[in-house]
Amino acid sequence: MKARSMKAAAALAGAMVSMALVATGCSSADTPADKPAVTEITFWSWLRASQEVVDAFNKTHTDVQVKFEQVPGGPDGYGKFANAVKAGNAPDVMTAEYYMLPDMVSQGQLQDLTGSAGELVRSKFPAPVQSLVTLGGKTWSVPLDAGAMVMFYRKDLFDKYGIAVPKTWDEFRTAAERVKAANPKARIADWVKDDPSLLTSLSWQGGAKWFSVQGDAWKVDLSGGETSKVAAYWQDMLDKDLVAVVSPDEKTQKQKNSELLVTLTGAWGAGGLRGGLPDQAGKWASAPLPHWGTPASAMMGGSSFGVAKTSTKTEAALKFITWMNTTPEGIQARLSSGASSTLPAIPELAEVAKKNFDTAFFGGQDLYAVAGESAAAIVPGWTWGPAMGSTNAALREGYAQVGAGKAKLADVLGTAQGRTVDDLKSRGINVAQ
Amino acid sequence: MSRSASSALSRRQRGAAAVFIAPFLILFLATTIVPVGYAVWLSLYSEQTSGLGFGGAETVFVGLDNFTRALGSESFRDGFVTVGLYCAVYIPVMIGAALLLALLLDSAYARAKRFFQLALYLPNVIPGLIAATIWFYLYTPGLSPVVDVFESLGLGWDINSYGAALGAIANIAIWQHTGYNVIIFFAALQAIPREVIEAATVDGAGAVRTALKVKAPLIRGALVLAVLFTVIGAMQLFTEPQIIRTESAAIGGEWTPAMFIYTAVAERHDYGQAAAASIIFAVVLGAASFVVTRFTSRRAA
Repeated sequence: MKARSMKAAAALAGAMVSMALVATGCSSADTPADKPAVTEITFWSWLRASQEVVDAFNKTHTDVQVKFEQVPGGPDGYGKFANAVKAGNAPDVMTAEYYMLPDMVSQGQLQDLTGSAGELVRSKFPAPVQSLVTLGGKTWSVPLDAGAMVMFYRKDLFDKYGIAVPKTWDEFRTAAERVKAANPKARIADWVKDDPSLLTSLSWQGGAKWFSVQGDAWKVDLSGGETSKVAAYWQDMLDKDLVAVVSPDEKTQKQKNSELLVTLTGAWGAGGLRGGLPDQAGKWASAPLPHWGTPASAMMGGSSFGVAKTSTKTEAALKFITWMNTTPEGIQARLSSGASSTLPAIPELAEVAKKNFDTAFFGGQDLYAVAGESAAAIVPGWTWGPAMGSTNAALREGYAQVGAGKAKLADVLGTAQGRTVDDLKSRGINVAQ
Repeated sequence: MSRSASSALSRRQRGAAAVFIAPFLILFLATTIVPVGYAVWLSLYSEQTSGLGFGGAETVFVGLDNFTRALGSESFRDGFVTVGLYCAVYIPVMIGAALLLALLLDSAYARAKRFFQLALYLPNVIPGLIAATIWFYLYTPGLSPVVDVFESLGLGWDINSYGAALGAIANIAIWQHTGYNVIIFFAALQAIPREVIEAATVDGAGAVRTALKVKAPLIRGALVLAVLFTVIGAMQLFTEPQIIRTESAAIGGEWTPAMFIYTAVAERHDYGQAAAASIIFAVVLGAASFVVTRFTSRRAA
């Protein structure tokens, strides 16, 4: 009996041993230096149109060929990567959203790219984006997009109900009440039960700084004044049943039924709307994120690409990343499929993106003008913490309770603060009191 | 027989024994002992970084620190309570129902025995993951006829409460495993010598009395074994809550010990703590099966 249960206990260990053996068998294929050979690299992502980007790269390059592997986004994808790095069979190029990058770096999963890509990042990208991939004075990844937040909304329904598109959060609440009055089944926006990203980004917009560096230590502040203000606002919206508490599936269903008027998300969200709701073409539009008095924005999502610690093909990996993120061809390949609506972090490339993303779904509106305006209004100084995996896990669980009416946002944020600090300390990271 | 002849024989026998044992021993070492040893080794180390955490991580020896951290974690300890409560609900109901159904099948009045055996066994053929997904929909308000019936009867059904979540998960397990145990018990009942039953009938025992006082005690061995396997399986509860979790706020990512271990690896990437928690969990499981065996065999003696 005991042996049987111990087996379960050590299944992980066994798997890791065998994976490590496989990896050492694979990585010893050195190419002779005298003749130019094709370097093959692998690339993990969940971003839309990644396959198209890789195909376009492979078609135009002979020295480097990329093998794309689709992985799930969110905790599953990052978990898979963490295990793969441990096992020594990680891909060469990995997608790292800005929020997760410090966590990945602090766990030693990525290569320091200061020497090879530091200059590229310094010279091409605007300062606020640079700071997201520069940690501890070193460059860890190359940014793709800005993830600037916008409000996509059902223009036809706002017109039908005679409601003005809200510009501030106060107007947003009034509009929410009127939407519910106009159609008791409809709500202005969704509250995805276990998605921590919305409140985090809106706290950023509200001026909060969840993480900051004080000397050689992290200050963690998930329940400061600005966050409390934003949390109280959404708690009130939830208490008054003005937002729809949904799972991701239910959200899509409600959107299909025209029972959700707004989605608050990154500029990259346009591609998803267009792909997921083809029947609603021409009915959607984009507007700036509602604000607290003066226009302000934040990022939601936003991705960069790093090179795995275990990769021996840094040069080839960077060649691919550079092409994908910083050249018009790379951006064009991503956007022309229509699946992705990414706003490139490099301002000059926004024009390329604009030309290549067909906005018929949005009635021909210039989405990139709205996104660009939002990018310029992002509140500066936000830093992501080095244990966002733990922080988000705590938030996700807490928000599920909030969605069920069993907890308050303020308490959840307090709990997440505690769990984050505990996790940082257990990893040996300094925390300022 | 001379001494040298006997030792030559035993040497030959020993050689033969080694050849027969080797395949098992090699597999056992490679798939059980080595991984367990590796888990023990892992549990003594931790990935440590310093300062702001961007200087890279290194693996350091931390002794029993991972064990104290796991034991110190409230959610890890609560997981054992949850699993204990789950066993307390699930096992008596499931074993009781399986025994009752097996006795009914075995009674002289039963008809269409083959059909019922098959029908009862059917849920067990469905993989746990699929079963949990099916039940997930049956528990979702708005989608589920079951929830509608509950609500139309004026009975509250709140999957977000701890009790309802526990009941919902126990229900999946009962649904899935009762049939399997019916088959086991039925087979054991069939093995009871018919003379014993005839004797009971001749002595004037009715069908119910024969079932409860004669047949049931005679299959005690099968019952004990079923309880033992069920306890061990039940304590490793993982799949069902992991699926139902997205529906129920009562179930967190560390709801059971197995989920705690998974979360430690998948979300916190804390391999040391996961290994330590696994070892603690294995020891508790071993102790639990020992207790069940001792308890039931003493009762039998």
